[in-house]
Amino acid sequence: MAKFIGQRLAQSLFVLFGLSLLIFFIARVVPGDPARAALGFLATQDQVEKMRAEMHLDKPFVVQYYYWFTGLLRGDLGKSSYTHRPVTTDLGQFIPATLELILFATLISLTVGQVTGVLAGYFRNSWFDGLSRLISYLGIATPSFVVAILLIFVFSQLLRLAPSVGRLPIMVAPPPTVTGFMVLDALIAGRVEVALVALKHLLLPAVSLALIHIAQEGRITRTSIVENLDKDYITMHKVHGIRTSRLVFKYLLRPSIIPTVAVIGLDFAFLMSNAFLVELVFMWPGFARYAVTTMLNKDLNAMVAVVLVIGVTFAMVNLLVDILITFLDPTIRIQRRGG
Amino acid sequence: MKARLLSVAVMLTGVTLGLMGAVENVAVINGFPVITADPATASDWYDTEVMYNLYSPLVYPSPDGGVRPHLAVSWEAVGGDLTHWRFNLRQGVKFHSGNTLTAEDVAFSMTRFITMGRGNSGPLGQVTAVVVDTYTVDFVLDKPSAIFPETLALFFPVEKNLVLANIKKPGPYGDLGDYGEEWLGTHDAGTGPYMMTSHIPGQRLDATRFLDYFEGWSNEGWGPDEVPIERLVFIMETDYTTLMTLLRAGMLDLEINGGWTLPQLREIQEDNRLRLSFCWAQNVTVWMNSKVPPTDDEHFRKAILYAFDYESILGPWAEFGNGETGIILPNMPGYVPIEPQPRKQDLERARQELALSKYAANLRDVKVTFHFCGGLDFEEEVGLQLQADMAQLGVRVEVAGPPWPQYSASCSAPETTPNLTIFLFAPQAFPPHDYYLYSMFSASGLGWIFSAHWYFEDPEIAHLLDETRAEPDPGRRMDIYRQLQPLIAAHSLAFYPYQKPTLFAHQAYIVGPKESIAFVGPSENMHNWRINLKLKQELRG
Repeated sequence: MAKFIGQRLAQSLFVLFGLSLLIFFIARVVPGDPARAALGFLATQDQVEKMRAEMHLDKPFVVQYYYWFTGLLRGDLGKSSYTHRPVTTDLGQFIPATLELILFATLISLTVGQVTGVLAGYFRNSWFDGLSRLISYLGIATPSFVVAILLIFVFSQLLRLAPSVGRLPIMVAPPPTVTGFMVLDALIAGRVEVALVALKHLLLPAVSLALIHIAQEGRITRTSIVENLDKDYITMHKVHGIRTSRLVFKYLLRPSIIPTVAVIGLDFAFLMSNAFLVELVFMWPGFARYAVTTMLNKDLNAMVAVVLVIGVTFAMVNLLVDILITFLDPTIRIQRRGG
Repeated sequence: MKARLLSVAVMLTGVTLGLMGAVENVAVINGFPVITADPATASDWYDTEVMYNLYSPLVYPSPDGGVRPHLAVSWEAVGGDLTHWRFNLRQGVKFHSGNTLTAEDVAFSMTRFITMGRGNSGPLGQVTAVVVDTYTVDFVLDKPSAIFPETLALFFPVEKNLVLANIKKPGPYGDLGDYGEEWLGTHDAGTGPYMMTSHIPGQRLDATRFLDYFEGWSNEGWGPDEVPIERLVFIMETDYTTLMTLLRAGMLDLEINGGWTLPQLREIQEDNRLRLSFCWAQNVTVWMNSKVPPTDDEHFRKAILYAFDYESILGPWAEFGNGETGIILPNMPGYVPIEPQPRKQDLERARQELALSKYAANLRDVKVTFHFCGGLDFEEEVGLQLQADMAQLGVRVEVAGPPWPQYSASCSAPETTPNLTIFLFAPQAFPPHDYYLYSMFSASGLGWIFSAHWYFEDPEIAHLLDETRAEPDPGRRMDIYRQLQPLIAAHSLAFYPYQKPTLFAHQAYIVGPKESIAFVGPSENMHNWRINLKLKQELRG
């Protein structure tokens, strides 16, 4: 297993290096003057030229990459020309807000998706299966931001059950930042009431993001359950009179969950970069929103960092998924041992 | 189960209400993303709005277009060549730390401003600051400037010792490390009416009232229930649907960027708990590039000027203050109306001008490119209107909206600038007359998007523009500004569809601004506003 992890890490590093080169180059050839963007509208031409030199933009591409790469090795991703802060400070602020949101969304999609998938598969062709299919199609076909607007209208505007803006009410002071996760930080600070409110604020954006994945994961699990239900070993267990609950949870769920786990990994990384519209609708100060803002402002260092973070997330999550699948599927484990 | 869910919902609602409390003396303001809270790097108008609350400029803009004493009580040119200026400072001004402002702080701040060379320092050129005594400071310029005192309306002194105590080393400024830039991004070292309590860049900025503010907090001129606002919360939201929800729910008290759509403005107008007001407008400007065909022909440019249907484009917006404008904004002193007068389409005159142009014989082969900033509907509307108008003359107009980086980059040189480019210019540099005239029409001006007409050949205009920076008498300078407007307009370098007021939408219990100044910043200084808590209780309590 250690050899496998080592190989995958080496592959990931190679891919990330290529990715950094690619985005570093693309960021510099798209139209726009990053020096002017950093200085603001009233900068004189002299000031713009000076800033270009400070940003090494007057140097060849290879030299610029060298400066950036040696900075990276020191843990310095440069300064954001948009926020005027180190990019690492920005990432430390914005990533936890999005991570909290997508972890919560993943928790919802995993739970609801699995339960509906298992039930729909076990009771295939029943009314429940039909209903879940219909809802899944709707869920997959409806973009997250449309779901977000609908949820706001129903639960925030009409029923007034859940808030639709930000991570906390505007007038509530946030707890001191420890993890960057509002709920956790509030609990650490002993402010249970703030944690509850933060949880309430998470609800609508997380459901908006989760819905499409509930539908997707529910359908995949359902198909997998149906496939496995027809296998000989399940028929044999049934013949032996094993209880339904034991049959489902012990013998059916584990092999059926493998395709879903693979998809969840990809979904998680996908959400990291695609939560923008939901973050915009809910005024959620997260990473996806930061990513788009910096791209629009041609903030070179931030752009490269954002792409790298997404790349690292994809690489790490995929590695974790592979490891998890190895544990879930004995045939893969045996293959990797060379059996 | 149902009952349990209901009780959880009720409990959470109760917790939220409990946290939010009753009517508070606080104003939640949407200020767009404040990019930097450091006076040496602040540049965009959103930054300036915050600067006027946390810091005090050396001189303060006045409604007549000039400046009046503020941190400086008086100033004079020393030696007569306008390169040496002496400023006498107000005594007893307190920083938020409690320390007193002296010439040391002002000199340090100027040196920092110029050395860092960012933000609004460009128009100042090279300035050397010299402390004369505790309350007197000299500024020596590298070139004469009669408008130097006015430019200091965007110079906000910081507390020297506090900044020096918070510099981060190593940094680009040698022993001075980062010159305190990182620290000043999330802290303040100012003398303004409000003190920063926290700042999460790009998210929110909290400030509280500074009781020792040197201008005091007199209630003279305000209503009996109108009191100073104790706390400011600047939120930074760009989506106007969300802002509308917040405004109607009473979660937003004042919006100062004015990006509302027409239906939203009507909704605000119809809600008797809300108000709309404006102090400054933005000039919708369509530059005509004088260096590429066919707009290199003055008659062709005039044809465009007369063909445009001003009334149609203005129609639905007129009730919200949009209206005729010229080279400077109509509510600025010294405004001179320019052609066409009256402001309406004149196709006959347009045809006459077209016939005089060198392209008259082959109009079918002529193509005019009109570029707007992608995503800005009102700019696109102007392009489409012109497209329809010019079609009546047999001229093809191609309308495109590239994204801002591409759009602005295309205006870096005459040969890459499209025939027509549209921009929205707010009065964000001081003095605003200099900004709309010298910066946009002088070869030594700001260039780029500010001069995308690329015409600097008229020696009379060049001479008069230079005169504006050499004339120390504000009255005579204003006369030159008046003289310049028709001269510039005669070359038809731009057409001005309308002025677009920046509409402040606010709750009825937020009262202000007391003093209306046609410049970004002072109108959003919350010392200039009050809150009526009794009315807030009635409307929102």
